[in-house]
Amino acid sequence: MKLSVLTLSALLPSAFALWPLPTSYTNGTTPLRLSPFFDIKLNVHNAPADLVAAVARAKGFLKTDKLQALVVDRGASSAQAISKAKTLPSLTISLNTNGAVKSISEEAIAPIDSRVESYTLTVPADGSGAVLKANSTLGLYRGLTTFGQLWYEWDGSTYSLSAPIQISDSPAYPYRGFMMDTARNYYPVEDILRTLDAMSWVKLNTLHWHIVDSQSFPLVIPGYTVLSEKGAYNAASVYTSADVKKVVAYAAARGIDVLPEIDTPGHTAVISKAFPEYIACNEATPWASFANEPPAGQLRLADEKTSQFTAAMLKAVATMFPSTLFSTGGDEINQNCYTQDTETQASLAASNKTFLQALDTFTRVNHAALRTEGKTAVVWEEMVLDNPVTLANDTLVLVWVSSANVAAVAATGHRLVHAASDYFYLDCGHGAWVGDFPTGNSWCDPFKSWQHAYTFDPVANLTTTEADLVLGGQSLLWAEQSSRESLDATIWPRAASTAELFWSGPGGDVQKALPRLHEAVYRFRTRGVAANALQPEWCALRPGACDLTA
Amino acid sequence: MRYLAFLAVGIIPAVSALWPMPRTLTNGSDFLILSPSFAINVDITKPPGDLLAAVAQTKTYLETDKLERLIPGRSASDAPSLKKAGVLPSLTLSLQSKSSPVLSIASEAVKDLHSRSEGYTLSIPADGSPAHLSANSTLGLFRGLTTFTQFWYSDAEGKTTYTNVAPVNIANDVPAYPYRGLMLDTARNFFPVADIKRTLDAMSWVKINTFHWHITDAQSFPLSLPDFPELAAQGAYSSNQIYSAADVQDVATYAAERGIDILMEIDTPGHTTAISLSHPSFVACPYAAPWSSFANEPPAGQLRLATPAAVNFTKEVIGAAAKALPGKYFSTGGDEVNMKCYDDDAQTQADLKASGQTFEQALSAFVGATHSALAALGKSAVVWEEMVLDFNITLAPDTVVMVWISSANAALVAAKGFSFVHAPSDYFYLDCGAGEWIGDDPTGNSWCDPFKTWQHAYTFNPLANITSEQAHLVLGGQQLLWTEQSDANNLDSIVWPRAAASAEIFWTGATLPDGSPLSGTEAIHRLHDLRYRMVQRGVKAIQLQPQWCALRPDLCNINS
Repeated sequence: MKLSVLTLSALLPSAFALWPLPTSYTNGTTPLRLSPFFDIKLNVHNAPADLVAAVARAKGFLKTDKLQALVVDRGASSAQAISKAKTLPSLTISLNTNGAVKSISEEAIAPIDSRVESYTLTVPADGSGAVLKANSTLGLYRGLTTFGQLWYEWDGSTYSLSAPIQISDSPAYPYRGFMMDTARNYYPVEDILRTLDAMSWVKLNTLHWHIVDSQSFPLVIPGYTVLSEKGAYNAASVYTSADVKKVVAYAAARGIDVLPEIDTPGHTAVISKAFPEYIACNEATPWASFANEPPAGQLRLADEKTSQFTAAMLKAVATMFPSTLFSTGGDEINQNCYTQDTETQASLAASNKTFLQALDTFTRVNHAALRTEGKTAVVWEEMVLDNPVTLANDTLVLVWVSSANVAAVAATGHRLVHAASDYFYLDCGHGAWVGDFPTGNSWCDPFKSWQHAYTFDPVANLTTTEADLVLGGQSLLWAEQSSRESLDATIWPRAASTAELFWSGPGGDVQKALPRLHEAVYRFRTRGVAANALQPEWCALRPGACDLTA
Repeated sequence: MRYLAFLAVGIIPAVSALWPMPRTLTNGSDFLILSPSFAINVDITKPPGDLLAAVAQTKTYLETDKLERLIPGRSASDAPSLKKAGVLPSLTLSLQSKSSPVLSIASEAVKDLHSRSEGYTLSIPADGSPAHLSANSTLGLFRGLTTFTQFWYSDAEGKTTYTNVAPVNIANDVPAYPYRGLMLDTARNFFPVADIKRTLDAMSWVKINTFHWHITDAQSFPLSLPDFPELAAQGAYSSNQIYSAADVQDVATYAAERGIDILMEIDTPGHTTAISLSHPSFVACPYAAPWSSFANEPPAGQLRLATPAAVNFTKEVIGAAAKALPGKYFSTGGDEVNMKCYDDDAQTQADLKASGQTFEQALSAFVGATHSALAALGKSAVVWEEMVLDFNITLAPDTVVMVWISSANAALVAAKGFSFVHAPSDYFYLDCGAGEWIGDDPTGNSWCDPFKTWQHAYTFNPLANITSEQAHLVLGGQQLLWTEQSDANNLDSIVWPRAAASAEIFWTGATLPDGSPLSGTEAIHRLHDLRYRMVQRGVKAIQLQPQWCALRPDLCNINS
């Protein structure tokens, strides 16, 4: 019985394999192939350069993807249908609105609640032209991304078996991110750019860039270059202003906002290389008493000079990034570090403040500095739960310790982004990385599979009102056990799971999603991203055959 | 205090460069520069071509590794020492035995495990006189060359190549165990030959001497046998995902020239579904559902071991695959035989009835047949542990057993009197900990969770619960990569540097040259060094810790 079912499914038209799945679509089963003269017509007056470039890239992918359908015969049995199929002559792109046209890059970095990413796409089966429309160039860009996923290759033909296609698509959540830590280990700019490309293919729109940490300070900040001169792993392992400009521009042109993070007051040991007077418990041992991982060291938050330095430095960094968002971190503050630090205790005594009052002042000064640069602050959850400080109402909170903390954060009334370690940490499950610990395990074991992340409910335990505070979510890669050698395979395709969750909305079916995710893997590879294999290829070509109860 | 202690360690000339650590080693703390005209002289009459190629490769590594020392400040802090360093003009290779003709590395590498000679003696004087490498075999010289390349670092400009631990004396570094392997499964997902070759290179750098090639399985049959071309034609994932006879020769030669024997495995009678595509009558329960009733993973299907034609076919396939390889070992597998598959298979039941055999008798005859094909080629059979622990079947005394289910089963296998290889999932499976790969199972986890860290693998004791009388049965061990969740895209990073852990356990043995037991805190310095050197040579070994720690491992221990 089972065998005949499998054989049958292999003969049916291949799945409609978009990722993330559009929020509204219909499709048929008519074969259609791209005309040899297929063209993308940009019917936008004064089209911005990044849209023109996006069209050129889309045309490039149509030529170079050459992805064969993930069915047992890879498309051979459809050969005749493909050769007889009508041809699609063109895709015409236009805006629904008249008036000044903004670039993708401008749209991508607009305040998060004002972005327009929706689009409509029609691909007729009768040989007439396809049409892509949107209210913004950013929406057109999302639609182009979708269009690029419709096609397979067989014997020189670029085809679909799913025409006609009608898509009306818009994201369920405005924040769909990926966090990259470039401080535990350094990633060359080209790896970041490749990651941005891959992010754009699944409509992720935020790169949360955790640039610096206790181990290294790779960011070259104008006016504060001594930080990276002394704190980067080496002179080559830095991000210059030019690098940042390049990353930010590359991201924006692909519909991605770059949310920079300078984590404070913890995770700052490396600042001591340039400014030892600003750091408490610097490289103190045993590190486990002073920090969650080596080396220990936190900004002397109660010291006025340190606070001024930090605010001015953050302000300088803020000018390097066009995003309206900026993260000052705030996770894992170690109390013992400050309790044992004579200078901090003296500062607290002199100002007659408790630790929490000092943290409150420190945070307010920093956030005020950012505000003058037009930035909305982003913080880790501890800043509202463990150390509740005064925060502007518009402050965004990242929930990371546990998904169980979401409700508590929502109860504070702040907007939040899901980044829970129990669902979205891509680094979990690789064993202990601290030395002399052969019996140790990953602190957040087990490995978070794509399936597990996919089942996340963004509004679990939230009231309807609280649900409105959920901006979206992201996968995160802390880089203690990663470097460029393992980057692609660790991120992809797992981060795509989160991308679909927050674009298409929760409640997706893992069983139905898997064949499409396999396809995302194979398409990523044709585009040069070394995404990890999810299953034996035998399974990738036979949807459902490797399910638990198959 | 802690910081001072660290500085003191830096002054002691610990050799942070070698992996695996030689059995014997004395060294100094002098800096020694490789002469710009450094030469490797081969003082051997009629040296074999693969030895000369190895010498050329060694010189290339010396020029291109350009690895800076992993200390804070990297090589910059060595600049003052280099100003007064001696210069090494050359390395001379010689054989201790003058027997002729001189056998090639490739010939030595595929000998019986007990007759291979991998030992070597290496001296690197600090006074500017030449270095010497001698051995009883070209294979030993190859091991010594590998060691030699690991001593050298580069300055920041890449202009000076030097060591900081001269003089060096390694007197007769011989491996503790003859079998040091790595297993790769090329059937769940296919690996291009180029990826296998790169893996062989990396294996040779840590003196691993056996590539256990699990070449076929239920999912695909990429091995193209000239006598049975239909197996791959029907069973490979595609015509581009095949190992042709020429590919197998190419891999075997490439391996042997690097001191590595190929232990090929055609797993039987289970893990053979792909054979049904060309020979449906030989496979029971092909693609039966639910797969979990008939196999440990999809798709189900096992050779009809009671059917005479299937037995004969299997015997011929094993013989055809084995004859193409120069080594003395071939694995017929034997793991995870599913009883329900045979119980429900009318053909198998009819065959058992017709022959009057029990299942176990039929299995014994099946295994006996395939192993007789190997014996006829002068090869010893290798089997998974179930063949001696779960079933009472007849096996030749020279059969080698692989312990995989649990390290606890090693003692049981030893009690049966068979030689065996450690391959326990609880220490050496590189694929564990990557989550559930079976579909529609979001709450599932890796069956052998957690991830096996290098540190954990490194604590493995090959002689645990083994008596001194049984100790000779331990041939060695290996780490293994089953590839349900791997292919060429993550191969390097999931294998390296972790697979180096067992390479050291089974080369160096229980103790370091100074007599102290192997220790993860000592080893991590060297393992970081190895990882960075691998990256320099084009193998994408994963980062073990933040680079901050790689330069200061003693500050990143659990109790630092």
